[in-house]
Amino acid sequence: MKTMEEQAVVHNTFVIERAYPVPPERVFAAFSDPAKKRRWSADGESKQIESYDMDFRVGGKEHYASGFKDGHPLAGRTLKSENMYRNIVPNRRIIFTSTMALEEKCFSISLGTVELLPSEKGTDLILTFQSAFLEGADGPEMRQAGWRGLLEKLAGELAR
Amino acid sequence: MTDKKKIEIDRVFQALGDPSRRAMLERLSLGPMSVSRLAEPFQMTLAAVVQHLQVLEEAGLVATEKTGRVRSCRIESAGLNLAGEWLKARRPEWDRKLDRLGDLLAEPEDEQSQL
Repeated sequence: MKTMEEQAVVHNTFVIERAYPVPPERVFAAFSDPAKKRRWSADGESKQIESYDMDFRVGGKEHYASGFKDGHPLAGRTLKSENMYRNIVPNRRIIFTSTMALEEKCFSISLGTVELLPSEKGTDLILTFQSAFLEGADGPEMRQAGWRGLLEKLAGELAR
Repeated sequence: MTDKKKIEIDRVFQALGDPSRRAMLERLSLGPMSVSRLAEPFQMTLAAVVQHLQVLEEAGLVATEKTGRVRSCRIESAGLNLAGEWLKARRPEWDRKLDRLGDLLAEPEDEQSQL
């Protein structure tokens, strides 16, 4: 069995680009206004939101806690996301760090950068997201949830 | 791809193509256990469970060992990196969020702050 010191870290980075037909000020407002931010970033995912708050300034934090549906291996558990804003250039850039935890146990830490570039058609948005996943910190239930998800995906593929 | 590699991949898919074997893998994801403990929730004979385990072992998905009279089994998950899969799943989650951002931005300005 691995000791704490031997636990591996898994890394992943992705970049997503989008174009929106509105000026950068409008896109930025959707990040800086808690009512707007919640609507697109927290609501709409299938998990139930248990709490949400946001303090948009350098050093300020956005928290949200969500639960899982009945029957999910993590039902009854709480997934806590905490983002801290590290750099804000109004209408141009937001850089934040992000942790994910099951209750108080953090299993993933990320760095997110949002860049807003004015364009002829409105705004180009670039999201760069870099994550570290602490192997083993997720615990047996999350591992089981992961396996179930993977096996369901595989079952779907095999059924084609 | 060599024939050997093809056989290995075929073995994995054949092993995973059975719902009972997938359920066994999911149970083993909780941690290693004895074969009898693995068999508990399944409506089949111990011999049937052992047969399924053999298929899983030949596919490299499970490892078993005998200590005294007890045979125990555990997942061999080299090919299925769950942490990596979880991290990769963050991307489609952000894709959906940015789609919803687009929907919100398409609404008339004064409606956007209403919950």
